[in-house]
Amino acid sequence: MGNILSEQSLLKRISNNLTSAAGITIIFCIALAIFATIDKGFYILINTIVTGGMWALMAMGLALIFGVMNIVCFVHGEFFMIGALTSYFVFTPINNYLLDHSKTMLVATAPLVAMLTAIISGILVGILCEFMVFRPLRKRSREQWVMNSFVITLGMSVFAINTIQITFGADFRGIVNYWPYPPLSFLGVFISFDRLAAFIIALIVIVGLLLFIKFSKFGQAIRAVSQDETGAHMVGININAIQTLTLALSCALAALAGACLLFMYPSYPTMGLGPLYNSWFIVILAGMGNVGGAAAGAFIIALLQVLTTVYIGEGWDYTVPAAIIVIILVFRPSGIFGSEVRGILNQ
Amino acid sequence: MLLDVKNLNAGYDFLQVLWDVSLNVDRGEYVCLVGPNGAGKSTTLKSIAGLVKPTRGEILFNGESILELPGSKICQKGICYISEELNLFTQMTVKENLAMGAYSIDNKKEKKRNLDFVFELFPQLKERKNQLAGTMSGGEQKMLAIARGIMFSPSLLLVDEPSLGLAPQLTRDVFNALEVLRKDGMTILLVEQNVTKSLQVTNRGYVIEKGKIVLEGKSNDLTQDDYVRKVFLGV
Repeated sequence: MGNILSEQSLLKRISNNLTSAAGITIIFCIALAIFATIDKGFYILINTIVTGGMWALMAMGLALIFGVMNIVCFVHGEFFMIGALTSYFVFTPINNYLLDHSKTMLVATAPLVAMLTAIISGILVGILCEFMVFRPLRKRSREQWVMNSFVITLGMSVFAINTIQITFGADFRGIVNYWPYPPLSFLGVFISFDRLAAFIIALIVIVGLLLFIKFSKFGQAIRAVSQDETGAHMVGININAIQTLTLALSCALAALAGACLLFMYPSYPTMGLGPLYNSWFIVILAGMGNVGGAAAGAFIIALLQVLTTVYIGEGWDYTVPAAIIVIILVFRPSGIFGSEVRGILNQ
Repeated sequence: MLLDVKNLNAGYDFLQVLWDVSLNVDRGEYVCLVGPNGAGKSTTLKSIAGLVKPTRGEILFNGESILELPGSKICQKGICYISEELNLFTQMTVKENLAMGAYSIDNKKEKKRNLDFVFELFPQLKERKNQLAGTMSGGEQKMLAIARGIMFSPSLLLVDEPSLGLAPQLTRDVFNALEVLRKDGMTILLVEQNVTKSLQVTNRGYVIEKGKIVLEGKSNDLTQDDYVRKVFLGV
C-alpha cells in the first residue's frame, strides 16, 4: 500500500507539472511572448517584464492579505499611491539639491533612499490599519467577515484618497527619471536604467519573499495561519502578531511598487484604482491566496495587457484581459494555480 | 492535581453549553469524558485549550489559573489539544506539520529528539514524511494530528474523539499509540463517544449530559453502573 504521490521520480513529477493546467498556461504565454517579440520587437518583452514585476509585488501582497487575514482588500491601491507619494516627496528635494551640486554617491543612492522610505511608510500604514481597523473588528465579531472586510476596505479607500487630496492636492506629481544614467543597450534595444532597476528590484523581492515564506520561521507561521487558523492557535502561533506582520509586509510591497514605478506613473490621489483592479485580476486568475501563483499570474496579466495595447488598441487594455479571465474562470473556477476552491465563508 | 476545572460555564455567543462543569485530572492519570452528541464534551476541551472563553468558573493547571490565557499561550504551559476536526495544515507536508508542532520550541536538539520519538511511535508517518497532509487517509491524519500535538513535549493531552470515523483496526492503532504515551508518563483527558472502549482503557471517567456532569467514578465502576449500561452500552 505504498504511497504513489511521494515516490514519483523527479522526471515524472516535472512532466506532470508541465502538463498540468498551470504548466500549459505558462508554456503558452512564453510562446505567445516569443511570437510577439519576433513580430513587433523586444520592447514588448521589456514592458511585460518591468510592469509584470511590479504588479507581482502588489498581487503577492494582496494574496497574502486574502490568504492569511481573509480580508477582501479593496484599499490595496492606496498603499501603492502612498508609496509613490512618499517616494516623490523624499526624492524630489534630494534631486533638486543634486541639480546644483553633483555628488556621485548621492546620485546613485538617492532613489534607493526614496524607495526605502516608501517601504517604511507602507509598513507604518499597515500597522496603523491593523490596530485601528482590523484588530478591533476581529475582536468584535467574525460573522460575515468576507462581506464586511470588503465594505470596510472600500470605505478606507475613500477615506485615504480624500485625505491625501485634501492634504496634498489633486496635482500629478511625477519625476522624469530616478537615475540620470544613459539607457543600456541590450539585444539591439535600449532599456532605460530606471526600468532595469525596477525589474532587478522586483526580481530580488519576489524571490526573497517566496524564500522567506517557504523557509523562515515567520514565513511558515504565515502559511500555517492561512491554512488553518485554529491549528495555528494550537501549536502556539501568536495570530495577532502574524496578522500585523502580514499586513505590514503587504503594504510595504504595494508601497515599493508605487515608488519604483514613479518614473512611469506619476502620483495623484486616485492613481491606486488601476493597480488595485490589476492586482485583483491577478489574484483571482492565479487562485486565491496563492502567493507564488500570484507572482506568475502578474507576468501573464502584464503580457496580456501589453499584447492588447499593441495589437488591438490602447483603450482595450482592461477589457481583453478581463474577458479572458472570465473565460478561464468558467472552465477553472479555482484559478490557474489554485488547487481547490477554498470556502472562506466556511471558516 | 494537574488539571482542576471548577464550575465551568461556557458557550457560543448567546447559547450556553456548559453549566457548572467540574472535573479534575491528576498527574499520570488517564481520564475519559463521555456523553451523547452535543453534550458539551468538545466545548469543555475547547474551554481548557483557550479556544472558547468561559463566562464563569475556574481552570487551574498546576495550581495556576489558565482561564484568561489565549489559545496560543496554552501550549507553552504544556497543554496539548488535539481537536476533532484535526486542524492540520493541509497544504504542508507531514514533516512540515510536525515542524510546526514544535514551533514554540527553540532548542534544535529537542526538536530533533521529539521528531525521532514521533517517527518511532508512528512509522507510517515516517514513510509519508514528504506527503501533503491534505492527501492522507483519515486514520493517517489522526495519527499526524496526535504526532503534531506531542511535538512540543506536553504534559497534558486533551484528545477529542480520536476514533471518530475510523475503522476498528485504525481505532485500535490510535488507542495503542495513546497507551504508549501514557506508559511514557503522559496525562490524558480523553473525550469519546465510544464509551465501551474509553472505559476499558482509562482509570476514571466522567459522564456529561446536556452540559452537566451527571456521573463520575472509576472506569471499572462506571462499566457496572446501571445508568451507564442502559444509556450507553445498550444493556
